[in-house]
Amino acid sequence: MVRAMSEVRQEIKELIVKELNLEGREPSSIEDEAPLFGEGLGLDSLDALQLAMSIEERFGVRIPEGDEARPIFRSVASLAEYVTAKRAG
Amino acid sequence: MVDVEARVFVTGIGLVTPLGPARDATFAALVDGARGIRPVTFFDTTGQRAALCGTIPELKLPSDDAGAGVVWSRTSALALAAAREAMHHADLPPAGLKVGLVVAGTTGGMFETEAHLAALHEDPSRDDALLELLTHPLSATGDSLHRALGPFERVRTLSTACSGGANAMILAASWLLSGELDVVVAGGSDGLCRLTLSGFNALAAVDPELCRPFDRTRRGLNVGEGAGFLVLERSDVVRRRGARVYAELAGWGLGSEAHHITNPEASGRTAARVITEAIRRAGIGPESVDYVSAHGTGTPLNDPMESAALRQALGAEVERVLVSSSKGQMGHTLAAAGGIEAAISALVVERQTVVPTVGLSDVDPACALNHVFERGRPAPVRAVLSNSFGFGGMDSALVFTTPELGPPKRWARRAVVVTGAAALTPAGLFGATTTADSVLKEGAPGPRITRDLTLGLDLARARRLDRPARVQAAVAIEALRGASLDGKGTTLGLVMGSCFGSLDASAAFMHRVFERGPRFASPADFPNLVPSSPVGHVSIYLGMEGPSLAAADYTTSGEGAALMAMELVEAGLASAVLGGAFEEESRIVERRLSVLQARHGEAARPRAEGAGVVLFEDREAAEARGAKIIAKVAQRRSYRATSLADAATLVTRVEPPAAEARACVVVPHRVPEVMTALEGSAWRHAEVRACDGAGGEHEALGAVALAGAVSLFLGGSVDEVLFFSATMDRAYALRLVRP
Repeated sequence: MVRAMSEVRQEIKELIVKELNLEGREPSSIEDEAPLFGEGLGLDSLDALQLAMSIEERFGVRIPEGDEARPIFRSVASLAEYVTAKRAG
Repeated sequence: MVDVEARVFVTGIGLVTPLGPARDATFAALVDGARGIRPVTFFDTTGQRAALCGTIPELKLPSDDAGAGVVWSRTSALALAAAREAMHHADLPPAGLKVGLVVAGTTGGMFETEAHLAALHEDPSRDDALLELLTHPLSATGDSLHRALGPFERVRTLSTACSGGANAMILAASWLLSGELDVVVAGGSDGLCRLTLSGFNALAAVDPELCRPFDRTRRGLNVGEGAGFLVLERSDVVRRRGARVYAELAGWGLGSEAHHITNPEASGRTAARVITEAIRRAGIGPESVDYVSAHGTGTPLNDPMESAALRQALGAEVERVLVSSSKGQMGHTLAAAGGIEAAISALVVERQTVVPTVGLSDVDPACALNHVFERGRPAPVRAVLSNSFGFGGMDSALVFTTPELGPPKRWARRAVVVTGAAALTPAGLFGATTTADSVLKEGAPGPRITRDLTLGLDLARARRLDRPARVQAAVAIEALRGASLDGKGTTLGLVMGSCFGSLDASAAFMHRVFERGPRFASPADFPNLVPSSPVGHVSIYLGMEGPSLAAADYTTSGEGAALMAMELVEAGLASAVLGGAFEEESRIVERRLSVLQARHGEAARPRAEGAGVVLFEDREAAEARGAKIIAKVAQRRSYRATSLADAATLVTRVEPPAAEARACVVVPHRVPEVMTALEGSAWRHAEVRACDGAGGEHEALGAVALAGAVSLFLGGSVDEVLFFSATMDRAYALRLVRP
């Protein structure tokens, strides 16, 4: 289970770099707990939409829209946790 | 400098909307509070999270004989109906008047193109579908109207997404005040298509229910379709022919937020700036504004931004001024919206009746304004403000008044000089000093496409810039650098042309929708399919807050864009505007060409890509900042003709070069008709330079050659250059002289 979680995190980091065109950025250089929006990676609402779409495509997990999505999008760790929980369920 | 006093009057109004097939039906339904938003009947919306749209289900494409060989798209058919009605009410075309046409669009013939893309998705070997794919470039609507309702002296197409219709009015007003045209038919048209609906759904910008502008519970817009056109006419012409006047187009303002490709800048700073400019230009104050036709899309972000902008621009008067958005009744009709809302604004003035925001009941405190609810009503209206805001932060405002409420316009044409140029070919990026030697010469093109799209850009900030945006940013930066400008500021602008736009990206977006369903349409890719997306990205990247527009005129899109850039400077709407074009690598265009060439037994000619841009600057502004002036614009002309041979005769109407001047003619290609016309002109002794191979073959070659023409002055061997380009039935001429 622990191993699955770290793989999901890595896959999400790769998605972030590819889908959001973070050219030259190593996926592994994104910290698990770093905020994705605002201060951290500096992503915005358009990035969140792209990420939600690509996560649904990759993992078959639909991320809710609106305020419910905020805690899920906090970091790579929170995204991976949500994806893993939904897949297990 | 030419000085005249004149006004711009509205003498014709045409509307085709989800509320009705014509002007009066639409306005009556608006006043009644009716809604034209319904399920789509003409394509499958399965899988779309929201699918209620402002549609015109009864729209019939005109039969071919109505348009002299025109293949009508939904967008062009809407434009035809609205423009024809406007011209009918204005009693056009009258003999002996110079009439122009300016059309704003976003999707063009995408609805029809989607059917061909679907056929190719099913079976990639469908050459019939491939051959039809390029039938509707963005400029096709203007061309179709030219054939069906023209001839027009001047035909231009522009795109600034959802503010396009308003910008068509601004360009038209500038043409009229310059005295170059007497009457201009101007408007916007956008037909509904799967791409638009899928894209706005991907952005989660669509309300699954009927939209509710300014309401606390609003969740987004409903996508709509339609067309709105005005006949605009200069006051002396109106008086001479005794035309009926509906209202005066008294003021206008436009600018770029330079903020974000989809999200408006929350403070409304730029929107407030263009509104203030429009009211100032009208020669009135906020105290004379009685009604606002709001952009009011119903999205969470637009409505509070617009409310904040109105509070800033109208001051204390905002408590009194009535406000409404027609989008609750017809949805958001994209480029048509600016045209439709201009038409509604003129009718509000003429009929002294305001219209409501339907769907609004519980006003969001962030949108506290003097709203008109549910139904329209009679009200004294002196001046109307019409707001239009587009993707990429392209904000425009128009002011319509009762005739002669404010003072007449005193037109003073600003003199224009050239202070920069740049070109990008697969061989590299060239500044003004090197472009001529690099592109105006014989030689086999080297590589066909630009491999390194880093182009010296800051990749962290440029991550959203796709291929067209990166190339346009790179040539803009190079031209500005040579002119010692950084691109920042409210008086710098950009007009860039393209023939086919982002066709391959649109195809890729739709293939995903066909393959995976609308849920998997890419939110990040959708904004890049809008024709004005590259100029929007460039304005954001550079911090350029003046006018930014996309232009289209088939294979002379760059030439048209360059003239539009000059016109904006001449009209005092910007102090410096970059004008040019980029045409990108396209596997679709190449595949289609190879099929055509094979059918005609011709050898395959490889297609390249490239961009060219020229910086046009207000002479006084350039002198004031001590800029190095490369050339003066002595004359610019464009001509819509009946044939290529006729178009080429424009060269005989260009002023001859000065005696003893070392003169040169620059053409994109050595077209036989042009060479023959040159032989019979005053320029026959001048050396002719062309992009003979070195520039590669593509539709933006005119812009590359134009940059080369400017560059010739820096070699020190010429005193005058005539840039001349003619294709099909249109021609452009630009005479540049040493300062």
